Amino acid sequence: MPKYDTVIGLEIHVALLTKSKLFCGCSTTFGGEPNSQCCPICLGLPGALPRLNERAVEYAIKAGLALNCTIHEISRFDRKNYYYPDLPKAYQITQEFYPLCTDGYLEYFYGDSLARTKITRIHLEEEAGKLIHSGASIIDSDYSLVDYNRAGIPLIEIVTAPDIRSPQQARIFLEQLRLLLNYIGVSDTKMEEGSLRCDANISLKPLGSTQLGTRVELKNLNSFRALERALTYEERRQGEILDRGDKVNQESRTWDERRGRTLPMRSKADALDYRFFPEPDLPRLKLRPGWVEEIKSTIPELPMERLSRYEREYGLSRYEATFFVNYPDFGQLCEKLAAMGWEGSRAANLLMGEYARLAREKGHLTPERLAGLLEIIEDGLISSNQTADVLEELFNSNLSAREIVLEKGWQVLADTDELQALIGEVLQGNVELVERYRAGETKLYGFFVGQVMRATEGKADPKIVNDLLRKELGT
Amino acid sequence: MRKTAALLEKRQISSEELVKQYLTRIEEADPQINAFITCSGEEALAQARDADRRRARGEALSPWDGIPIAVKDNISTMGLRTTCASKFLAEYVPVFDAAVVENVRKAGLPILGKTNLDEFAMGSSSEYSAFGVTKNPHDLERVAGGSSGGSAAAVAAGEAPWALGTDTGGSIRQPAAFCGVVGLKPTYGRVSRYGVVALAPSLDQVGPLATCVEDAAILFSLLAGPDRRDAISSQSRPFSLPEWDLDSVRGLRVGVPKEFFGSGLNPEVEQAVNACLGELERLGAQLQSISLYTNEYAIETYLTIVTAEASSCLARFDGVRYGRRVEAADSNTMFAKSRAAGFGPEVKRRIMLGTYVLSAKQYKLFYEQAQRVRALIQQDVAQALKQVDLIVTPTTPNTAFKIGEKRNPLEMYLSDLYTALANLSGIPALSLPCGRDSRGLPIGIQFMGRHFEEELLFQAAYAVEQTQRRGEDA
Amino acid sequence: MIDRQEIMRIARLARLELTEEEIEQHRRDLNQFLASCAKLQEVEVGDTTVGYTIPAATQTLREDELTPSLPQAEVLAGGPCVEGGFFRVPRIVEEGE
Repeated sequence: MPKYDTVIGLEIHVALLTKSKLFCGCSTTFGGEPNSQCCPICLGLPGALPRLNERAVEYAIKAGLALNCTIHEISRFDRKNYYYPDLPKAYQITQEFYPLCTDGYLEYFYGDSLARTKITRIHLEEEAGKLIHSGASIIDSDYSLVDYNRAGIPLIEIVTAPDIRSPQQARIFLEQLRLLLNYIGVSDTKMEEGSLRCDANISLKPLGSTQLGTRVELKNLNSFRALERALTYEERRQGEILDRGDKVNQESRTWDERRGRTLPMRSKADALDYRFFPEPDLPRLKLRPGWVEEIKSTIPELPMERLSRYEREYGLSRYEATFFVNYPDFGQLCEKLAAMGWEGSRAANLLMGEYARLAREKGHLTPERLAGLLEIIEDGLISSNQTADVLEELFNSNLSAREIVLEKGWQVLADTDELQALIGEVLQGNVELVERYRAGETKLYGFFVGQVMRATEGKADPKIVNDLLRKELGT
Repeated sequence: MRKTAALLEKRQISSEELVKQYLTRIEEADPQINAFITCSGEEALAQARDADRRRARGEALSPWDGIPIAVKDNISTMGLRTTCASKFLAEYVPVFDAAVVENVRKAGLPILGKTNLDEFAMGSSSEYSAFGVTKNPHDLERVAGGSSGGSAAAVAAGEAPWALGTDTGGSIRQPAAFCGVVGLKPTYGRVSRYGVVALAPSLDQVGPLATCVEDAAILFSLLAGPDRRDAISSQSRPFSLPEWDLDSVRGLRVGVPKEFFGSGLNPEVEQAVNACLGELERLGAQLQSISLYTNEYAIETYLTIVTAEASSCLARFDGVRYGRRVEAADSNTMFAKSRAAGFGPEVKRRIMLGTYVLSAKQYKLFYEQAQRVRALIQQDVAQALKQVDLIVTPTTPNTAFKIGEKRNPLEMYLSDLYTALANLSGIPALSLPCGRDSRGLPIGIQFMGRHFEEELLFQAAYAVEQTQRRGEDA
Repeated sequence: MIDRQEIMRIARLARLELTEEEIEQHRRDLNQFLASCAKLQEVEVGDTTVGYTIPAATQTLREDELTPSLPQAEVLAGGPCVEGGFFRVPRIVEEGE
């Protein structure tokens, strides 16, 4: 029995897919020559001034709307002052006091139940530059190299309420949030390129207590797996501390992926004094009338809406619908097949099996070619266990499914007389086993089927084989 | 400047000759005055020759094409070092021009050089410069004022016909008053700050210094207007030269705030300002005693805001991308050593003050309270400017003080006693010479008006200037 | 009153290395400054709002369009220590150490 409630809140940084940076016209493209996408503004040269990117505001609003936030007509920018070599002005322009979006939530399925995680705020801020350390990590590096290409890329920071109850839920929330952001097209959310980053706060409290425990901030969570593992580790660590009757330190800890544990970051509480104050270079941001409505009209169907539509319209199971929502490219194929009149579950059956593996490797087939495959299955031209072979060929040739089957001579053996004769041969060749079967050793049934299939090189129509075999064996 | 422009237009003088005259004057006078940190004579001459060629082809960029200018050294000039009078930036060469520099280049003005200032514009005497003090051309033992002391002294000494300065709490007007030239701090947001090294972004403005009102207005007309690179000035308005008519003063309601004429005001200054007020009255203005009670808090409010913003604006000087660097084993020590080596005492003092008033525990008590008082000041000023069209005060309580005389920083801060109000409220303010004290030192009178009503300041100042000239001629 | 320790804390925050003499000087100056600012605390400010200090009080936005960046050589030209297209900095120690 767990003795503690786990309380988790997340802070997610998302790089926006704008062409230019938040406050200047430099490109946001990933992977350029170092320090080649910089100008006086994003380098923080003396005298350079910021000018806010309209598209970044639009995307932040879009994210806010998709997350059911209040969008504030008036918001403001502030300076967060701290020294770090990757921060060109030694302050970050952010929205501390009056953020653009507040008080939203995200709904998602966690297990079988619908979970809702509150979004406290979403604000706009600028990204820092990138550091390349001379050693393996920052701690064992004598020096570091700074590239300011990334400096000034627009970010939104999404802050959740401490609503999340387990490391697993944190992971699922983050996956669903990422999906939502992909749906609305504001970010490419690549964790490996840092365009989606997550910090987590976690604390434990005695079961049922209303008093929050001391929270620990976790950093360097570079993947969904890292998020879940670090939180799981931390949950156990804090639990052990509390079991001993000790107190958890309020601190920041970093996740060490290699060693699979969190380590305290060396910091003194008083050193982190960001001296926030209103950014004097930027007047307040007032949204022009009608803008939010315009943006609202561009928001596509969101994951949860799509999920219930798939269940409702295509009769898909939660599991199937979730697959198609999570992989919208597959979802789209399913929708196309459905539009051609195919039953959702049939399409799902096809798309979620062997096809999924092949498509991830080789790219998708057209819905028409997939429909051709469904058709010959429906017609009984091939048996379901031949589907994989036909699929494989579909990826490798331009022929239709029917043409492939005919060319390869894979059509199913459905001639009752021929099969009857074959079955007769199989049974006669195994008289002893037939006796045993009839005496009650029913698991031998599979053996007989196998023999028939082998004799037909797998082309026998399994349904007919079954019918005939059962009749013959008298069961 | 109209005369010079006419001479250029009639080819009675070439821009090259004109620039040479100023360069000669700089060569003669500047070793004593030290108005310039960097003289860009060669470039100025090349620009002058370009101007002459344009004029010969009938393609002058403006009537002022070929008339040179001096630029305060906290305004970025592409390819020409911009030191902010700081050791930290002693070798810093900008890769871009400030918007105002672009503007004067577009009008064809050759740049004579970069003028001295208090380091990062923090000061009121130009004594806090890493490049030596600028001396007052009227008395070499006295300060030129600051922080735009170099620009004011250069114009006063005839080393430049006009100059650009910046004004955060009085930094154009106070040295203009001390050196006997005209200086304008424009409406906040009227002139782009792009490329001006920030001291306090919510207060900083660029403005003209010139020998007469009309020249100041001409230069201002080149500077004012919207600039999409400065979010604050993106909704600015351009400025066109007003009618120069003494009658424009008739019927003007001129407010005289009693708080600016109290104790601490040098009687000679008071007398000179009162004489000017008398002139305005004779010209048909209606004088009205008003109150600006919030000026009592102006200096402390100003200091809190200016130090806070400056501490943040100057944080970027960390030795990574440009400027001074003192090597150390780790980055934080490198930052701290570089900054310690690069900044002078006044800059350090203000960074310390500013860091303190912004720190988490003090923020509400100091910075936020100062912003609230500032809002109160704005209301007070707005209220006054509903009753009157112009506010007239002395520019400074005293005339130029002696070099080294003010050792206590707080005493120095009081130099902005009459000028900070305009920055805090964002209104335009102009300083005009109005006579001299018994030592022969210039006295300044300040005109303040409503947002974007620089025209009225110029007209009133022009009227006073003309009556003074008539007086001198008589 | 601000003590020596507080001065050191502020100097750390501001990344200013101070000499003993400077610490004492700043302690005096800061206390003097705060004393003079005391009168601001007494001002009855009512419900004045903070921050919007300018006539053009809302910002216009920039279209999301590219403008040319500086050539890498110009970006690095002022750098006191440059290596292979990067700015080089000594060992980075986390905040507060």
